[in-house]
Amino acid sequence: MKNLNNKIWFILPFIISLLVFIPIAIIIYSFFLETSDYISLLSKTYLLNYLVQTFILLISVIFLTSILGIGSAYFVTFYKFPGCNFFSWSLILSFAIPGYIYAYSLNAFFSNYGVGYTLLNFIYSGINYNEVIPKINGIKGAIISLSFSLFVYVYLIVRISFNYQSQNMIDAAKNLGFGPIKIFTRILLPAARPGIIVGLSLVGMEVLSDFGTVSFFSVNTLTLAIYDSWLIYDDLTTANQFSFYLILFIFLFFFIENYTRSRSKFHTPSKSFKDIKKITLKGNKARFVTLFFFLIFFCSFIFPLMQMIYWIVKFPKFYGVFEFMEIFLNTLYLISISTSILIIFSLIINYGIRLNQNSLLSYLTIICTSGYAIPGVIMAVTLLTFFSYFSEIIEKLFYLNNIKNFFIGTTFALFVAYFIRFFSLAVNGIKSGYEKLNTSMDSASAMLGFSKLKTFKKIHLSFLKKNLILISLLIAIDIIKELPMTLILRPYNFETFATKAYYYASQDLVELASTPSLLLVLITSFLILILKRFILKDF
Amino acid sequence: MNFFEYKNVDFSNSKNIILENVSFSIKNKGQTICLLGPSGVGKTTILRTIAGLKYISNGEIILNKKILSNNKIFIEPEKRNVSLSFQDNALFPHFDIEKNIKLAISKNNNGPLFFSTDELMDLFFIKHLKKKYPHEVSAGEAQRACVIRSISKNPDLLLLDEPFANLDHNLKEIIQKNLKDILKKTFITTIIVTHDKNEAFYFGDYCGVLLNKKFEQFDTPFNLHYKPQTKKILEFFNRGTLIPVKFIKKNTLYNDDLGEINAEVPTTFSINQSFEILIQPEDLHFDESSNLQLEIIDRKFNGSNSIYVLNTKNNNKISASVISDHYRILEENKKFGIKKPIYISNLICF
Repeated sequence: MKNLNNKIWFILPFIISLLVFIPIAIIIYSFFLETSDYISLLSKTYLLNYLVQTFILLISVIFLTSILGIGSAYFVTFYKFPGCNFFSWSLILSFAIPGYIYAYSLNAFFSNYGVGYTLLNFIYSGINYNEVIPKINGIKGAIISLSFSLFVYVYLIVRISFNYQSQNMIDAAKNLGFGPIKIFTRILLPAARPGIIVGLSLVGMEVLSDFGTVSFFSVNTLTLAIYDSWLIYDDLTTANQFSFYLILFIFLFFFIENYTRSRSKFHTPSKSFKDIKKITLKGNKARFVTLFFFLIFFCSFIFPLMQMIYWIVKFPKFYGVFEFMEIFLNTLYLISISTSILIIFSLIINYGIRLNQNSLLSYLTIICTSGYAIPGVIMAVTLLTFFSYFSEIIEKLFYLNNIKNFFIGTTFALFVAYFIRFFSLAVNGIKSGYEKLNTSMDSASAMLGFSKLKTFKKIHLSFLKKNLILISLLIAIDIIKELPMTLILRPYNFETFATKAYYYASQDLVELASTPSLLLVLITSFLILILKRFILKDF
Repeated sequence: MNFFEYKNVDFSNSKNIILENVSFSIKNKGQTICLLGPSGVGKTTILRTIAGLKYISNGEIILNKKILSNNKIFIEPEKRNVSLSFQDNALFPHFDIEKNIKLAISKNNNGPLFFSTDELMDLFFIKHLKKKYPHEVSAGEAQRACVIRSISKNPDLLLLDEPFANLDHNLKEIIQKNLKDILKKTFITTIIVTHDKNEAFYFGDYCGVLLNKKFEQFDTPFNLHYKPQTKKILEFFNRGTLIPVKFIKKNTLYNDDLGEINAEVPTTFSINQSFEILIQPEDLHFDESSNLQLEIIDRKFNGSNSIYVLNTKNNNKISASVISDHYRILEENKKFGIKKPIYISNLICF
């Protein structure tokens, strides 16, 4: 009986591992398939270009996000300056602005006869400012858009690393005669290295998976190549073959991230932990730091927000075009179903791990959760490939028709994609809660006479409440912002704010994209504020 | 039939055998048993097998005529009405102390307890912490709250694992007295695990000394002290030194280092037989003018008395206890004079 009970807990993680493995298996399989001439044409001509552009984008965004993220985390953690409490959380708001929406704003402001031009003309009048205003498009635009929308990953993770550093360490360094710069470069930065690497690896993965921004600025990255070969050349195999190269890049970051996380245990605070004493900045130093933060906050959040508001005010007649309620309900539908499924499955898996304490089960869970590293475009294209094969097999086996429409024409495939993508978020969110609830609590509860189910309901769920809310909010934010998977896998005419905004922007109707974009940003900001207010009170 | 039986129990984890053929019983409801033994010997394992948190490999556990565990039957922990208070703080971190205790009361199927929660908290000096969360109280306070929670369920069998490990000496004495009163009045059968001999002897109607996977002796505290059955028991209690003697005539033994020793020798031994006897510090008295002078190699000041470690002519180490009044004289001397004749009132021999 005991053994049977244990085995049951392996079934679900095993099935989910297989599910996560589908995209990777298809990519590997397709890589060795014969394909059309398109791939050979590409490899002779543009493949190198795709790789070079991807690489330039990657390096530049990593460089910029590390400056913005580490710099802001450093000042917020160790110094007091005017507005530091406000900026410490308001920078997180930039999380509400996806790269592609930032791109629309950037383009609109700096383009010929754009908002910048109008503004200058309004203030100074007369001259043709188009020649003066720098054109931020192409790879430059993609670098800036992605950096301002992604630096928050580095900021959050490095800030946590900095927070874990004890004042004892700083005092010891001062005692050795180190000045502030030396303390930063020799002590704080090396100690926060795991956090920095994890943050930058996440940025790296996001850059490589980005679709909306690069497609708007027509930067030829591998992700775009995959999308183009699928949509324009209708060649799924080629798309999958490109995915192979991209996935190699991605898994490099994935392994760096996971390896660093597993090695960074010593960075958690010990018993002798002493809170950091913030240094108060005065005079010009304080003004400079406040300005630095204001610029980041302005560029990353206020600027795109104002740009969208400007359009809506300028073109009020577009309000009616947009079926706001329907899109809102669509989004709510996606969020509620996905979140429920993700949370239920994650609870089951975590509970199984807790009961069994088995290393095989833990490894299986790591595989289950690796889906977040698979770029949205690849996920979508490989799932399309898989469901085509799968429905053909089912149709042949059971003499059925139109099974494919069930998998691909509905939101089913979309839920599968979201599940694979966000499963890590849900599982790890619950895991981090469970880690704080010692297993002896379960024994204690049994000692009080509570059955396993009652212990789960009365003790576990009430303890995990905060984590569950946190996970739901994060999944909601991610789904609202998600573009490529939703775009490719959604049923016909099924729109979210992201797909609607993308649709208008891709049609060169950026003004029209402003309403869905603004709504997307407002809803996401609202969710972030709830997070801040109720969950991350001390942040 | 005994109220509780732990019969021929084996327990092993994936790597080692922890318990081998361990047996003990509790005759009547309301009695208290203490389990003693060095760290890591399996005392806590016994409690966890009784609680149903660990499966036994062989044997049988019976409580109140009901089989809890054997080869075929395993009653789930929550259905045993056995309450274990853990050594490490196992309070639910998201509930305050009062809520933690109330959870236990909600599961009391044995009728109301003699004491109210407030009274229990008062007796354990944590009444003021009712609304505090576990992370806001000290380890000792959390542990006391845990014990109260376990008692509040009014279990058929209460298991306490090192219940006072985190208390300072003075408080420990008061709390021990209060707990003894509580157990007496509530009539709860209890098994206490401890490594503190005094605590075990204070609480236990019976005490078991667990050494090397099994009970070396399971007996009353009196017998454990005065009639230890094995040398290992003496070693565990650190009772003194075993010295070789020869039974030379009635009530007289002879040791090469100490000379003649007077004692009532059990009739099982015959004249000229050689065996070992226990010499305890309190058996040897100080006499400055004695002929038997031994070299002092260490001294331990215990307040009212002091223990001296002495070296005999055959390089054996024995200990002697003296009232600390002699401290000044002995400070100056390098030798310790042993009063003759040596008389041992309670002879322990092997």
